[in-house]
Amino acid sequence: MLWGLDPVFSAFARLYIKDILHMTESIQVPGIYFYNSHPIYKVDVLGTVVYRREREDFFCYGVDDGTGVINCLCWKNELWKDQGDSGKSGGKHTDGAQGGFNLVTELKKLRQAQQSSCRLEIGELLRVRGPVKTSRQQREIMASTYYKVNDPVMAVQIAWMMEVPQLYRQCYDKPLQLQPAATGASAISSLSQATQIVRNFLKQKSVSKFRPYDVQGLLEPLVSGQTDGASTDKEPVAGPSSGQRVRQLLKEVLQILQDEGVVFRKVKSQDELYHVTEQDKDLLIAVKDVIREDSRREKYAEKGCHILHILSAVRQRYSPNVSKVALELVLKSLECNSDIVSTSSNHYTMF
Amino acid sequence: MLPAAAVFYFPWEINSGVAREGESVRTFGRLTCYQPEESRATLSAQHASAQHQVAVQTMFVEPFDPVIGAQYTVLGEVENVEGVGLMVRARVLNCVDGVNLALLQKAINEQRSFFKERETKEAGRPSPADPT
Repeated sequence: MLWGLDPVFSAFARLYIKDILHMTESIQVPGIYFYNSHPIYKVDVLGTVVYRREREDFFCYGVDDGTGVINCLCWKNELWKDQGDSGKSGGKHTDGAQGGFNLVTELKKLRQAQQSSCRLEIGELLRVRGPVKTSRQQREIMASTYYKVNDPVMAVQIAWMMEVPQLYRQCYDKPLQLQPAATGASAISSLSQATQIVRNFLKQKSVSKFRPYDVQGLLEPLVSGQTDGASTDKEPVAGPSSGQRVRQLLKEVLQILQDEGVVFRKVKSQDELYHVTEQDKDLLIAVKDVIREDSRREKYAEKGCHILHILSAVRQRYSPNVSKVALELVLKSLECNSDIVSTSSNHYTMF
Repeated sequence: MLPAAAVFYFPWEINSGVAREGESVRTFGRLTCYQPEESRATLSAQHASAQHQVAVQTMFVEPFDPVIGAQYTVLGEVENVEGVGLMVRARVLNCVDGVNLALLQKAINEQRSFFKERETKEAGRPSPADPT
């Protein structure tokens, strides 16, 4: 029951009154109804008032949209009640402000306008939004908003009649399909999931060097899980084997980790050997050596060494494949250990 | 307590027998004649080069301000009155002069074709599992 994932659930559904009357109510959650397995609890209707009854604090309007008639319980606004008071105070203040803008009379006009939009006669057009309720086996709408619609040339009614069938075709009559969105998300997340798995593995085991086939096994459950799901509907298509897919996924993961500087290849050769940046003792030593030696030089004595200077020195001394992000990771970890000190955002020194 | 839903019909359908006696309907037409002493009005509409008339019993909606020649919509029950034939006993009679009749007819047809489409679709497929 993932009702909240259905966008119709949180909208005021513009259903035909006939359909509102015939929706099945949920047994587990009274107040929720189903139209075509879309969960619905609030609706939006427009129709002619064919029945009215006034009570002290609410109106009951029977609304007919040409497909059905439903009772709408429309509470009177709080403003109705202090109508008497406003009459008196209005009288008192009118002589105070002559001719000009009188707030009290304007307020009174506003109140009258509001009242007239709430008090409807039979034959007038009413728009109601609100939750659907069933009381005494009768379905009704508890209006959260309602107002009289002035529609002298039927423009609003015609527009409504044209629009509602479209809404039905485009959403209410279409079953909710979470599938495409969900699979799209899982394609993205399987990559980030895989990256996270490898990252955690490297960290937990304090791996310093590895080759792709060492971690390939970690990703196999991800891919085999996917094939199970996909094979049911894509049987005849000869897709890549799961082994190929694991290798492809791993390639993408390693690329991400390299881009982030978490791993690097000291030497680019046939042998795919990856070094884990923060675990590469030799790299740490090389960086420390560069900073220690160069900080002594007069040129860098005052400000420390700039990161780009360190980078080029490390590339010469250790490996030309060290990236700037990888170096930044090294510098950060050295700084955390108080091996080096940053003098500005891009300069490092050592005492 | 609540009256039955008044379904839209074209004026030329009222007398042709599409709307059964006792059925609640709504239709439209130009007010061509009003006889207050008999509480009787006539709405007329042109369709396929023929003039169609709908007799309306106005007792429930009186007094109203008759504008001869203006477009009206009527909502009420179909009745068979002796000597007159089929008549609509109006519960609602609204002046909607200036209405775009072509668009209104289109909207009525749109709604009908939607329901027809849905019925044929529903007939064609087994009822879905109950989601409750």
